[in-house]
Amino acid sequence: MAARQPMPKRVWQWVDGRYELTTLLNALMHVVIPINARTFYFGGITLFFFGVQAITGTLLAIYYQPTPDTAHDSILFIMNQVHFGWLIRSIHAWSANFMILFCVLHLLRVFFQGAYKKPREVTWMMGILLLGITLAFGFTGYLLPWDQRAYWATTVGSEIAGAVPGVGQQLLVFLRAGTDITARTLSRFFGMHVLMLPLSLAAVLVVHITMVHQQGLADPDRDEGAGKEPVEGAGKEPVGKEPAAAGSAAVEPGHKPKRKLLPFFPNYVLDEIIAWYVMLGLLIILVSLVPTGLEEPANPLRTPEHAKPEWYFLFLYQGLKVVPRIVGIAIPMVGGLLLLLLPFLDRNPNASPRRRPIAITIGVLVIIGIVVFTVWGWRS
Amino acid sequence: MVEGDHHPAGASSAPGPEGGRSTSVSRRRFIGYLLGFSVVATAAGVLTPIAGYLWPPSRVAAGAGGRVQVGTTQDFLVGQGKVVPVNDKPVIVVNTAQGGLKGFSAICTHLGCVVEWDQRRQIILCPCHDGRFNPVNGSVISGPPPSPLPEVALAVEGDAVYVGDAPV
Repeated sequence: MAARQPMPKRVWQWVDGRYELTTLLNALMHVVIPINARTFYFGGITLFFFGVQAITGTLLAIYYQPTPDTAHDSILFIMNQVHFGWLIRSIHAWSANFMILFCVLHLLRVFFQGAYKKPREVTWMMGILLLGITLAFGFTGYLLPWDQRAYWATTVGSEIAGAVPGVGQQLLVFLRAGTDITARTLSRFFGMHVLMLPLSLAAVLVVHITMVHQQGLADPDRDEGAGKEPVEGAGKEPVGKEPAAAGSAAVEPGHKPKRKLLPFFPNYVLDEIIAWYVMLGLLIILVSLVPTGLEEPANPLRTPEHAKPEWYFLFLYQGLKVVPRIVGIAIPMVGGLLLLLLPFLDRNPNASPRRRPIAITIGVLVIIGIVVFTVWGWRS
Repeated sequence: MVEGDHHPAGASSAPGPEGGRSTSVSRRRFIGYLLGFSVVATAAGVLTPIAGYLWPPSRVAAGAGGRVQVGTTQDFLVGQGKVVPVNDKPVIVVNTAQGGLKGFSAICTHLGCVVEWDQRRQIILCPCHDGRFNPVNGSVISGPPPSPLPEVALAVEGDAVYVGDAPV
C-alpha cells in the first residue's frame, strides 16, 4: 500500500486538482532575466514601501478622525495612547518619503539604462503615472495631521496648482473643494488618500508589473540596440524547452549565443527580499532616532514663518519664487509631458549611455537643476 | 578515508570514532535553521506591534477628581430627575422626598439601554423592556433587569451639584 502523503502536500493536491494552480505557478516561476540586469532593486523597493504604506495607513485609519476639530487630537491619541501608535505613525511618515525617493531612483535607473525604449514604451508611461499618483499620495497625506505645518504647506502647495494658466483657479477650487482650505478640503483629501489613490495605484501597478513580467527585464548591455525585437527568453522560457539553469546561455542552432539568463525565481527574488530586509532595518533605525513630530493645531489666521511644501515639491516652489509665475508652472508641466512621451520623442535606438550623449546630458542637467532648486528652497 | 566510505562532507549521520552515529548537523541544515529563525523573528517583530496597535487603549481618567458639575440644585427640584453626561457616560440624577438627591448609572443592567425619569410614576424607567428602578436606592422594582443600578458619587457644594462616573 502506498505511504500516506504529508498533510501539506495533500492540501495542495486538493486545491490544485480543482484550480490548476501548478500551471499558473510554472508560468510565473519560469521567468528568466538577463544575468547582466542591474536594477539595484529600486522598483521592488518602491513596491515594498507601498506595501508598508498600505498596512500602516490602514492601521492609522482605524483611529484617525478626518475633521478639523478632531484630526489633530486623534493624531495625539495615536501617538500617546495607542499601543505602538508612535511606531506605526512614524513608519508611515518615513516610508512615504522613501517611497517617493525610490520611485524617482527607479525612474533614473530606467532612464540611464535606456530601458524605456522599444518595446517598453507603455511600461515607462505607466511608471510616470505611478510617480504622479505617488506624489499625489504625499500631497494629500501631508494635510491630514491638520497641524500648522500641514495646513500651510498645503496652502502653499495648492497655490502652485492655482498658477496653471487658464484653468488654475478652477483647479484650485477643485483641489480645495472651495477657495480656502476647510473641513471640506480635509475630507476630500482623506477620501482621495485612503480610497481613490490606493485603488488607482493598484490598478496601474498591476498593468505595470504585468508588462514587466511579459517582457522581462532589459539588459543594459544589449548590443543589438533597443530597436530590435525582444530576444527569445527575455520574458519566459521558449515553449517546449527545459528551464534555463542559473547562468546558462540559451543557444539556438545556427545563431550566436544569446545573453546569459538567470531564473527570476528564486535567484532574483531572493536578492529583492534581502534588499527589502535592509530597507526594513533602515526604517526601524530612522523611526527610533528621528520619530515624526506634530506641531500645534492648524490656525487659519496665523501663517508661520517659512511655510513651505514638503521636500519633493520644493524645486517647484522655489522655481515659482524666482521666475514669472507662468514660466514657473509651464516648465514643470511641459517637462512632465516630455517625460511621459520620452520613449516616442527619443529616436536614438541605442541603450548604452555612451551612444546617447544628448539624452544623458539633458538628464544630468535636469537632475542638477532639480537638486539645486530643492536645496535652495530648503535653505531659503 | 576508508575505502567504501562515501559519506559526503557535512553529512548529518557520519559514523563516529567508535562506529556509532554522530549527531552533527550539516551546514545546509544549520543555515536552514538560521533562516527559519530569522523569518519567524521578523514575522513576530512585525506582527507584535500590529496586534498591540489594534488592541483598544484603556480610557484615560478624567481630571479634577473624575467628577463633573452637572448643574445646580435648582435644576433638580424634589420630584424631578434628569439624565446628564459625566465623562461621556450617562448618569441619572434624581431628587426624591424619601431619598434626597441621588445619582445612579443610567445604563440599564438588562441590555444596556439608557434609562429615563418617569415623572408620573416617580420612578426610574427603562423604555426598552419596561424595567423599573427605585429612585432611592436603585434597586429593581419590576421587569427583566437582573441587578440594581449602581449608585455614583454625588456631592453638593453650595448650590453646585457634582457627580462622578465611578460606582460608590
